[in-house]
Amino acid sequence: MLRRGKDRASVLVNFDVDRSAVEAARRDPRAFEALYRKYVAQVYNLALYELRNPHAAEDLTAQVFLRALDALPSFREQSEPPGSSFRVWLFQICRNALSNERRRVRRHPESPLELALDVQSTDDVAAEALQREQLDRAWQQISRLPTDRRQALVLRFVEEMSTREIGEVLGRSEGATRVLIHRALQAVARQIGRGSDAPRH
Amino acid sequence: MLPDTDDAAVQADAYIDALLTGHRRSPAAVLADSATEGPLGHQAGVRDAIRLLEKSLPRFHPSFLFEEWLAEQLRRHAGRASEHEHSSGKIIPIAVMRRPTASGSRLPDKRLLVGSAIASGVSIAGAAMFAWRRSRN
Repeated sequence: MLRRGKDRASVLVNFDVDRSAVEAARRDPRAFEALYRKYVAQVYNLALYELRNPHAAEDLTAQVFLRALDALPSFREQSEPPGSSFRVWLFQICRNALSNERRRVRRHPESPLELALDVQSTDDVAAEALQREQLDRAWQQISRLPTDRRQALVLRFVEEMSTREIGEVLGRSEGATRVLIHRALQAVARQIGRGSDAPRH
Repeated sequence: MLPDTDDAAVQADAYIDALLTGHRRSPAAVLADSATEGPLGHQAGVRDAIRLLEKSLPRFHPSFLFEEWLAEQLRRHAGRASEHEHSSGKIIPIAVMRRPTASGSRLPDKRLLVGSAIASGVSIAGAAMFAWRRSRN
């Protein structure tokens, strides 16, 4: 959002990357498609990691974008650029939809996300097997993490969001989010067989 | 000795940033960069977890069929919203069509199937009754 009273340089720096697309979509809802194309895979990713079912993830993705399109007139930039407050807002909608979905289903999905355990093939079979085993254990640990920690890891590593953006999605401060992610990483480290306090070899 | 939790979290965060940014520039550069290991020297386990997650967690993409179907839904929705805005100034959500399955076919509506089956049953019963009455006459 433009800040009145700030100098020109700060106005130039503080520019939401999606502002022009959001404004275009506000003027004409049909322009929303540009934002949809940009973020559909990201929303789908979080939904798939959380629900672990491609069809459920597609349903949730559709809900998120239809809600976002409906609610776009009420969207206001809130986060501090650089970045996209639209993306943060979209993921807040996604998190709400996921919460509703969990309440509806009343149980945590148990089916493993097999696709997520695919590791990149390498020439070194032994190394690949080790990596697969480590990832398997890491994924098991991630699955058991509390929702906020699990979502924070997915947003950080899969969506490549900054800690500040993740904090805005989760409704936490940047510092608290950093500690949240660190604790999640410690848990994963313990799971893959190397505690965070293990001496370095 | 382990660093303070906040410091450790800051170091881990910086390491993740370095990996993510580095991979966008040059994947090989970051993995070969031993300098980034320095700050996380006390946290070898966390560093390994970061590397594992950064390298291995896959990114998925929805199917082309789904993406295009949802784009069409949004276009329709946006079109209706535009019309409503111009006519009454109020946006009314519309019903969403069923989305295609992976094979491209649309899911059958159970209510429609049951309704059709009842209608067929009534028709057959009517025809049978008509034939029976004609045969008696």
